[in-house]
Amino acid sequence: MLDLHLEATINGRKVSRPAKPDQRLLDFLRDDLNLTGNKEGCGAGECGTCSVFVDGVLMKSCLLPVAKAQGAKIETIESLARTGELNVLQRAFHQAGASQCGYCIPGMVMAATAALRANPFADREEIKERLGGNICRCTGYQKIVDAVEMARDVQNGRLPASVFAEVDAEAGDYIGKTVRRIDAPSKVSGRLKYAGDMTMPDMLHVQVLRSPHAHARIVSIDASAAEAMEGVEGVITSADVPGEDGFGVFVNDQPIMARGKVRYVGEAVAAVAAEDLITAKRALAAIKVEYEQFAPVFDQQEAMRAGAPVVHDYAPDNVTKHIPIRVGDVDKGFAESDLVVEETYSTQAIEHAYLEPEAGLAYVDPDGVVTVLSPSQNITHHRHMLARIIAKPVSKVRFIMSPVGGGFGGKEDMIYQGMLALLAMKTGRPVRLVFTREESIAATAKRHPSRTTLRMGLMRDGRINALHMTMICDGGAYGLSTEGVMRKAAILAAGPYLIANVRVDTYGVYTNNTPSGAFRSFGALQTEFATESHLDICAERLGLDPFEIRRINAMRDGAVTHTGQTLGSVSLLRCLEAAEKASGWEAGAPTARGATRRDLNRADTRPPVSLGARFGAVEKQEAAE
Amino acid sequence: MARKRGRGMAACWYGIARTATVDRAAAWAEIDDGGSAKVVTGVTEIGEGILTVLAQIAAHEMGVKPEHVTIGDNDTARSPEAAHAGASRQTYMIGNVVALASREARGRLAQVMADVWDVDVETIGTGNGEIWAKDSNHRISIGEAVSIAKNRGVVPVGSASFGTDATGLDPVDGSGRPWQAYVFGTQVAEVEVDTVTGEVQVLGIWAAHDVGRAVNPQGVEGQIEGGIVQALGQALMEDYQLKDGHTTTSGFAKYILPTSLDVPRINSIIIEDPDPLGPLGVKGIGEPAMVPTIPAIMNAIYDAVGVRITSLPATPEKVLMAIRDKERREADMVQAAE
Amino acid sequence: MLTCDEYLTPQTLAEAFASLAAHRGRCRVVAGCTDTYPWAREGRAGDVEIPVLIDVSKIPELNALTIDDKRVRLGAATAIQRFLDDPSLGRALPEMPRCAVWFADDQIRAQATVGGNIVNASPAADVTPCLIAHEAEVELAKDEGGGIIRRRMKLADFVSGPGKTQLAERELLVTVECDALPGYGGSFEKVGHRRSLVISLVCLATLIKLDAQGRHIEDVRLSIGGIGPRPLRLTQVEDFLRGGTMTLDRLERAAAMPVDLVASRTRQEYRREVVRGFMLRGLITAARRAGAPADVLAPEWEAAYA
Repeated sequence: MLDLHLEATINGRKVSRPAKPDQRLLDFLRDDLNLTGNKEGCGAGECGTCSVFVDGVLMKSCLLPVAKAQGAKIETIESLARTGELNVLQRAFHQAGASQCGYCIPGMVMAATAALRANPFADREEIKERLGGNICRCTGYQKIVDAVEMARDVQNGRLPASVFAEVDAEAGDYIGKTVRRIDAPSKVSGRLKYAGDMTMPDMLHVQVLRSPHAHARIVSIDASAAEAMEGVEGVITSADVPGEDGFGVFVNDQPIMARGKVRYVGEAVAAVAAEDLITAKRALAAIKVEYEQFAPVFDQQEAMRAGAPVVHDYAPDNVTKHIPIRVGDVDKGFAESDLVVEETYSTQAIEHAYLEPEAGLAYVDPDGVVTVLSPSQNITHHRHMLARIIAKPVSKVRFIMSPVGGGFGGKEDMIYQGMLALLAMKTGRPVRLVFTREESIAATAKRHPSRTTLRMGLMRDGRINALHMTMICDGGAYGLSTEGVMRKAAILAAGPYLIANVRVDTYGVYTNNTPSGAFRSFGALQTEFATESHLDICAERLGLDPFEIRRINAMRDGAVTHTGQTLGSVSLLRCLEAAEKASGWEAGAPTARGATRRDLNRADTRPPVSLGARFGAVEKQEAAE
Repeated sequence: MARKRGRGMAACWYGIARTATVDRAAAWAEIDDGGSAKVVTGVTEIGEGILTVLAQIAAHEMGVKPEHVTIGDNDTARSPEAAHAGASRQTYMIGNVVALASREARGRLAQVMADVWDVDVETIGTGNGEIWAKDSNHRISIGEAVSIAKNRGVVPVGSASFGTDATGLDPVDGSGRPWQAYVFGTQVAEVEVDTVTGEVQVLGIWAAHDVGRAVNPQGVEGQIEGGIVQALGQALMEDYQLKDGHTTTSGFAKYILPTSLDVPRINSIIIEDPDPLGPLGVKGIGEPAMVPTIPAIMNAIYDAVGVRITSLPATPEKVLMAIRDKERREADMVQAAE
Repeated sequence: MLTCDEYLTPQTLAEAFASLAAHRGRCRVVAGCTDTYPWAREGRAGDVEIPVLIDVSKIPELNALTIDDKRVRLGAATAIQRFLDDPSLGRALPEMPRCAVWFADDQIRAQATVGGNIVNASPAADVTPCLIAHEAEVELAKDEGGGIIRRRMKLADFVSGPGKTQLAERELLVTVECDALPGYGGSFEKVGHRRSLVISLVCLATLIKLDAQGRHIEDVRLSIGGIGPRPLRLTQVEDFLRGGTMTLDRLERAAAMPVDLVASRTRQEYRREVVRGFMLRGLITAARRAGAPADVLAPEWEAAYA
């Protein structure tokens, strides 16, 4: 390997050091110079978290070979302000509430900096366009764009710098006030370190061998060549688990690494800790696994049929969980109804896509406490499970939550922390694993895809008389949060409406697909999608405005729910009224009347986007000519 | 018209905190030197803004300023259990328990000063870094009061535990009390459909959500905006695909996420229907924010072009082919009538 | 993950050819390099080991840019962003800024090169159809020991299939030359799954020159991408429209003509529908920008199709 000798100016400092020919500028900045504000959110130029200035031009450093920085002037997020200080743009991000998990924020601040340098008077549409190469998963972008507009106005003198101020609370009345986020400064400056930014002395790098098969018996694993490799300090498989293997959220059906068989493509089979990443990868390639493939099942309805491949022996019908809700008599209810409408709905598997890919470190501390540092959404539960799995008392297991770069339910499962703990124990050294984006997408939980049939019976006056819903979800290879998702989905399925006859069944089913797990709104999104779409169909048939049909059926104070619970105050009518008023909704049945309605196109909507906002001035000129 | 606009709406409800099981959380609080305060609890900040919410609650209850509140790290060996980030539970469970722990700490400090000033403890007021006795000249900084307390052997600490009264569900009919707090919401969506390509742009959303009590209004908006955009992604473009168990959407080039150019103007309306069972009246917003969005968008598409999309995502291809199918059926009907 | 042992940055063509010869069979030429690391990842090529990378982006000839009123010559290493930043380039190639603004995002445009995009030959490439509409030609060069040999061919012929071009072994794309078309009105239509940083399902570049009264179509160029293995110049449609007047009937007939050319592997029916709609939208929008008056280009047409 012919090292390069890189000479460049980085954040104002002259740098003169060797670099590897295949290093990306991102790696050089993060690994060699400890400038970890620039992140690897995806490594493929899609997310923008790696954006840096090269000779004043913003580029994605995950795409740049380090050689392209030769002789160049590089500016990273860390160059914008000194530690503990924030520049105008960063203050605007702070003031506008533009930072949530913070992982996309350094890249976003860089893109905003580039936007205002290119056009200090850029309007909202042009700002959005210039941020089009940066993904945020938490904020919905609105406050980010607000922040850039605020910074623009302060820089142009249209707003005074005094807008950057903490809220005033008379007599300390802080509840109900917009106090600025206390974690924003560390995020907008790029100084907060996430697990993938952290290193420890003597640290080893971990890589995970994952199953290429959806359903197969593990005949044998031969890790001897990998173990013998220079630089490899430890290799683990399920044979290394000292305690009672198995983790999960409701059922502990998932081993730390595949035990006996693999159940989905991407399931962990073995893991390696080595002195550097490349050695770890080479060691993975040297592990010989012999598989005997089983027939897989990839469809939830097929999985429920007799004779389907069985994913978990304890559930021969492949049903992870079934939740029933029964109120009254739906058959009678339908018979009484003036209108019966049936429809099927389906939703797809969704990836959480938090900008921070999974990462974690583990070590055994001087008191023998096995310590895992990771962005886990539930360290309490993880500690409990890990203690049992590694056969240690709970007091000898410690989970520390590292700053979380987005979760949404996807970091609730203990999908890699067990391997880290075992490798730390086996090698006696700190270990770190950072997922690639592809690994994160392929191996971790997804939102449950669903197939729902919904039948509603209504009276002519709009009252819902009967509701019958069946939802069958693909739960994938392991249980994860399936039970809870089915439960929540069922309880909320019929919507906040008084319905005398309700029959709901939700099923989570094992298949050999990527496991489905917790995802923000947890099953209710799927069932309420069906119910709320359905109400629109029924409203059209009955000639009722969609707000009206909901008012007719709405739960009110003291309502009894479909699980027989008496509620206290119910704010549904207030929410309906508020949305109706705020949007200026023009009443009318949903008869595809978009062409004739007059409540469209208000100032509180945005214009449709057609790329080229930056040509705005040019277009106006052309039109005039 | 090549581009057609329409509107749709949807309502929702959601339960706050863990489902059909008792939920619990604990916290420790201390009013510290120099008018600062410490809170330690198993809080899991994942970007939703819970750290700031807790700082506000602690400041409010202990009489200090939020910028002087330090919240300890979430560490199983250092902080009491407050369980996880999920179920839209943290403002409810941890917010409420931090309030209770803070009140206990404040109570200790208030009692010391009531003794020192020889007044009734009910007359002690705190806020913005100061402590005073009503209808008197007694007013000092919290920092001074803490010194006084410590000189008397009292450290102003507090702790609390907060649990919910929820039950499991009957295995046959599902009856039970899964949550003690419920929230409601409504969203209206306005879309434009390009009938040449089938592309749908969401131009505006009006979102009214009951949060019980908003501790940080900007934070609530942030949750609503983020939730809506995640739902929009599922509605129109995201699709994790598998072929024989292998994903074909391995990276962000194939798994399409919304960018800044895809999002509507979001207008949030915060509704407050306080929870009577917790000390603060707060409930939650993280998940309910995204429940009405998808049906509101699908209903708006129907309003615009008369096609009902019942399988997600409503990609340009799906929408355009549905429009063409509809046109063909209508043409057939016209022909049949002639 | 990409691993390599050597990264070379030749400063002249001669140096580049010498490196190509010295590392024959174990090297890869890169320019902007925007697709190199993404390609060497799971889901695409996976882990890739290339002993030598040869970066040609610093060679002066590949960075040259000349514009006159007839032709434009772009060095292969011209960054796509140049079309947005350079007003003279935007005037000479009226379609390119609108095409370029759809290309990825600001950051990637600053790094990605015209030559790299052409040689990558993705069927979804947007820049290639636009250049084809400008009658682009590529200039290629190689040196197998006897001195530099150059050849030219039409860009439309250079790209031969998905990921395939006529580039020979150890040959480099040096320059792209195309018509300067100041005064033409242009439009670029593209559809993908979202508004930015997205792979095209269909894209159409349209350029129109009208006569002084704005009534007759003096010249029209149409080039379409995403509907088959390579971008196509719609010469038959151009011949049909050229010299004629703008009537809705002629436009609709033109719009139907390319529909049968759709030969993509997937989503054929969708692409056929979009092609027809894009043709109308593209022609109407380009005509408006070319200065068609309202009595020729009825406002109802724009509302109905644009």
